[in-house]
Amino acid sequence: MEKALLTLEKGTISSAWNYCGQRFATGSVNGTLTIFDSVDPSSSSFTLTSKSKVHDTSIVKVVWVPPEYGDAVACIFSDGGFSIWEEVAEDPEHVQWVLCKSFEGNSNQAQVLDIEFGVFLNSLKLITAYSDGLVKVFELPDPLDLKNWQLQAEFQNVIDSVAKFGKVVSLSASISWNPQRGEQQSSFAIGFNSDIPLLNSTKVWEFDLDHQRWLPVAELALANDKGDPVYTVSWAPNIGRPYEIVATATNKGIAIWHIGVDANQVGRLSVEKVALLSGHEGGAWQMEWDMSGMTLATTGDDGRVRLWQSNLNGVWHEQAAIQPTT
Amino acid sequence: MPGVASNSDDLALIPHSPTNSHTIALHHTVKPPISRLSIAWARGNSLRVAVIRKPQAGESDDEPGGQVVEVKLGVDEADIYEAQWRRIAYGSVTPFAVLQSRKNLNTNAYNADLPAYVIEYSREINSLLGNQKVLPDPVIEDPKTVLQRVDEPTFSKAAWELMEIFFADKQSDGWIPERLVDWLSDYDNLIHGEQPTIYSRLVDFQTELVNLQAVEEDPKYWDVLSAALAVGWLDIVVKLLRLHSSYQHNQIGSRETENGLVETVVVLVSKMPRLRPNLSAGKLGECFDNKPDFVKAWEKWRGQITKLDCSAFWLQCGHQDTREGLKKLLQIMLGNASVLSATTFHWVELFIGHFLYIRPFTVGMESMYNLAQKCMQFKPGSSPHKLMELLNGILGENTEVVLAECSRSFGSWMITHAIELLTAGSTQADILLHEERNNLGGICIEELHRLVYAQVLSSHALTWQIAPIYLASCKKQGMGLLEILLYKQPVGHNQVLLKNIEICRMYELDNVGANAMKIAGVHHWKHGKKGSGVFWLQQAQDEFRLNRIAQQLFDFVGKSVSDESFKQWEGLIELLGSQSKAAGGLDFLHKYRDFKRSLQQVTDIACIDAARKASEALILLMKNPSTPQRFWLSLLYDSVKLLNWKERTLLNVPQTNLLLNKLQELSMARLRPDFIEADLPPQALSSVRLALATNLGRAILEE
Repeated sequence: MEKALLTLEKGTISSAWNYCGQRFATGSVNGTLTIFDSVDPSSSSFTLTSKSKVHDTSIVKVVWVPPEYGDAVACIFSDGGFSIWEEVAEDPEHVQWVLCKSFEGNSNQAQVLDIEFGVFLNSLKLITAYSDGLVKVFELPDPLDLKNWQLQAEFQNVIDSVAKFGKVVSLSASISWNPQRGEQQSSFAIGFNSDIPLLNSTKVWEFDLDHQRWLPVAELALANDKGDPVYTVSWAPNIGRPYEIVATATNKGIAIWHIGVDANQVGRLSVEKVALLSGHEGGAWQMEWDMSGMTLATTGDDGRVRLWQSNLNGVWHEQAAIQPTT
Repeated sequence: MPGVASNSDDLALIPHSPTNSHTIALHHTVKPPISRLSIAWARGNSLRVAVIRKPQAGESDDEPGGQVVEVKLGVDEADIYEAQWRRIAYGSVTPFAVLQSRKNLNTNAYNADLPAYVIEYSREINSLLGNQKVLPDPVIEDPKTVLQRVDEPTFSKAAWELMEIFFADKQSDGWIPERLVDWLSDYDNLIHGEQPTIYSRLVDFQTELVNLQAVEEDPKYWDVLSAALAVGWLDIVVKLLRLHSSYQHNQIGSRETENGLVETVVVLVSKMPRLRPNLSAGKLGECFDNKPDFVKAWEKWRGQITKLDCSAFWLQCGHQDTREGLKKLLQIMLGNASVLSATTFHWVELFIGHFLYIRPFTVGMESMYNLAQKCMQFKPGSSPHKLMELLNGILGENTEVVLAECSRSFGSWMITHAIELLTAGSTQADILLHEERNNLGGICIEELHRLVYAQVLSSHALTWQIAPIYLASCKKQGMGLLEILLYKQPVGHNQVLLKNIEICRMYELDNVGANAMKIAGVHHWKHGKKGSGVFWLQQAQDEFRLNRIAQQLFDFVGKSVSDESFKQWEGLIELLGSQSKAAGGLDFLHKYRDFKRSLQQVTDIACIDAARKASEALILLMKNPSTPQRFWLSLLYDSVKLLNWKERTLLNVPQTNLLLNKLQELSMARLRPDFIEADLPPQALSSVRLALATNLGRAILEE
C-alpha cells in the first residue's frame, strides 16, 4: 500500500524528516533550503511553506536539530562548511528561517563530512567529522540560543591515541548517535571512508563524565576488516534489549553488531558481529532502523530499498525488497 | 516481525531459507534517471522513500526533482477494508484488556475461571469479525432459493472460529466433529480455489434451477443433492428433495410410489441422529448430548436405512434417475466411503463426510490428523489454502505452524489476539509462547507479536492511541516502545500534546510527558507565543530553560532598572502567572518585582515599613542561588538608600556580611574574561562598598 506524499523541487539532492514526520526539509544543488509541512497531524498532505537560498554551493546533507531545541536544521555544503538555520517568529504570523551559526569551509581547511546531534543531560551536543580524520564535539550552553556553540572535544577516530599519520584524505564519514534517551551514558558510533586504514573502522565513543572526555569503548570491525572503508553507520533504538545493536556498512556488506552494555577492566565493551548481509551491489548509502529497532531499511547502489530482520533463531535475513517503478 | 506481511518463516522455529524475501513494487511518477533513494521511517511501520532524480541539462525549471512516496508495510487483512479494520482494532481493545486484567488477578494459582473468560473473549472478538447483514424476511418465500446467506464471511472470521473450536471452547470438546460440520457449512465458499467446492456447485445449480421443469431429469440435481448430504447440509437436502416433480399435484397420482420413496428419504435425512447438544434454528437432525443414547438412535436409524435400501418398493419406482439418485443418498448415509469420496470435491469436505457417516465418534487430535492426511491423499488436487494450512497446523498440534500461518495469512492483529486462544488451548503452546528468548532480546513470542501489532497501530493517526494498551501488556519492552511512540508524536499540535500527556500520566511516564511539554514550550516560545511557551515550560518544570528565559527578560528590559523599564516587564511577569514560583528563573523575577515595588514605595523617611520590606526582599534575592550574578551589583546599587537609612540600620550584622561576601565574590568574578559588566555608573561598586561598610559599623554599634 503506497501513497505519494509530495513532489520535490528541481535540483533536490538531500532531504530529512523531522522527529514526528510532519516537516520535511530538502536541500538543493543550488543551495536552496525548502521546507514542506503538514498542517493537520492526521493528514498526509504536505505543502511547501518556505524556500530560502542559504548558500552558494549545494546542500549535500540536511539534519534536523532535536525538537527540544526548536525547529532548526543544519545544512552541510559541498564546499565543506555547514550552517544552522532556525525557524523563528516575533509573532505567529511572521515566521521566517534565520541563520544561527555558520561553520565556514574552504578548500584549504578540512571539510566537514557528516554531522549529528545528540541530547544528553539537558545539553545538546553536535558531533562533526572532518575530512582530515578529526572528530569535533560542540556543545550548546544556552538551550534557547542556537548561535553560540562551544568546542568541547577534538580527537581522531583511533583506538590508540598515540597513533600519528600524515595527511588524511577522507571521502566520507558517518556518525550515529546512540538514540537511547534518559540518564545513560552519551555515546555515538563513527566510521570513515579514508586512505588511512587505522581511521576507518567504526568506533564507539562514550563520554566519561568523571574525566569529562570522550573515550573509545568499542571497535566494530574484525581483525581482518579494520581498514575497510565505512560507508554508513546506524545505531538501533533499544526498547529493552540487554545489548545494543549497531549496523555498519562497508565494502564487504552490511554488518550487524551486538554491543554489550557493561565495560571490562580496560573500559571496553564486548562486541559480537552477528550477521554480514549482502544485497546492495557496490555498498549501502543509507541505513535506517524502525522505531522498535527490529527492522533495518537500507538503500544502496542497486537502487532498491531492502528490509532486514532477524528470525526467532537470531538469524538476520532480507525480509523484503522495495523496487521503485513508474 | 514489524508487520511486514510476507513469507514469515521468521515465526517458525526453523532455519531461514534465503529465498523467502519478496519484492514490493513502489510506484512513483519520477522520470528517469533516478540518482538515489533516501529513506526514513515515519510512525509505526510506514517507510517514506524519497525518489530523487538526477537533473538533466537543458530541462525546464518545472521538471520535478523527485517524489516522496510512503509505503505502509504489513498492511494485511486483504479481505478487510481499512475503515472496517479500524473498527475491529478499536472493538478488540476492551475484550483484550479485560482478559489481561482477569489473567493478572490470579497469576500464581490455577485460574479455574480462565476457560470461561477465554471463551467469552473469543466470542466477543468473533462478533467483531462477523459482518452481519440483516436481510428483510421475504414476504413470499421462494421455494427455489435453496441457499441463503445472512452474513458475509471473511477469512479472518473463519480462521478465528477454527481456533475457537480447537483451543478455546473446552465445553464442546466432545462434539468437535459436529462443530467442524457447522464451520464448513459457514465457510465452504471461502475454500473455493481452482477446484470447485460443494458450495460453488450449489451456487451454479441454483442459477439453473429457475429454468428446470423436472429437476430429477437433470443429473446435476442428484449430484448436488448427494454432495450436500455428504457434508451434512440436511436442510438444503430436504429442500432440494421437495422440489422433486412427484410432489406436484398433477403428478402425485401417477408417481405415488416414487413420491413415497422420496418422502421416506426426506424423513430419514431429517431424523439423522447428531452427537451434539443442540442445533440452530432451521437445521435438521435429532440431537443427542450423550453417547449411549446417540449409539442407540444411530443403530436404529441405520437399520431403517438398510431396511429401506432392501425394500421392494424400488422395483415399483419407474423413474430410473430418481431410483439411482435416492439409492446414492442411502449409500452416503450408510457410510459408503467410495461414494462419499466421489461426491465431494475438496479434502476437507471428504473429511467432514467421514465424521458424519463413517466415524462419528472420532476424538483426539491424532486420529483427526490421520483422517485429514488420508482425505488429502484421496483429494490431492486441492490447491494450498490459508484456512486449510491453518487447520492442518491445528490438527497436527503444531503451534509453530499455526503461528506462522496466522502471521503470514492473517496479519498481526490476528496473531496478537489468537495467541490468547493458543495459550489457553495447550500447555505446550503456553510454554512455547511464554519462553523468554535471547534471540529476541529477552522477550517471549507473545510479547514480540504484541510489539509488532502495536507498531502497526502506531502507523496511523487514528489508531496510535490504542497502541499503549497492547504495549502495557508487554512486560519487558512495551514501555520502551511506548516512550519512542510518544516521542514521535507531533506535540506542536495542542490536541496531540494533551493526548500525549494523558497517556504519560496513565503509564507514569513523567519524563516523556515533561519532554513533550518542553518541545511544545520551546516551539511556542520561538514562534512568538511567549505566554504559552512559558506555560508549557513551567508544566515541564524545565528550570534550565526558564532560567534562560528569565535572563532573556532582563536583556529585554535593559540592563539598568529604571522605573520605566520596570513597568514594562512587570506586566510580562504578571502575564506569566503565579505558577512560576516552582521555577528558579521566574522565581527570581517575582522576588525582584516584589523588591522593586517596595523600593518604589520608599519615598521618604516615614516609609519605614516599606523600607524594611525592601531590605528583606533584598536579602531574599541575594540568598537565592538562582539570582544571576550579573544582577547583584544593580540590586545592591539600587539598595544604597536602604543601606544608608538615617533613622536606624535596616540590615543586621550577618545580613550585611552576606552582602559583603557577595560583593567580594563579584570582584573576583570581574577578573574572569566572560564577566558581563552591569550598565552602571563607574563609581557604583565603590559607593556600594562604602555603604555596606558604614552599615556594618552601625549595625555592630547597635548590637
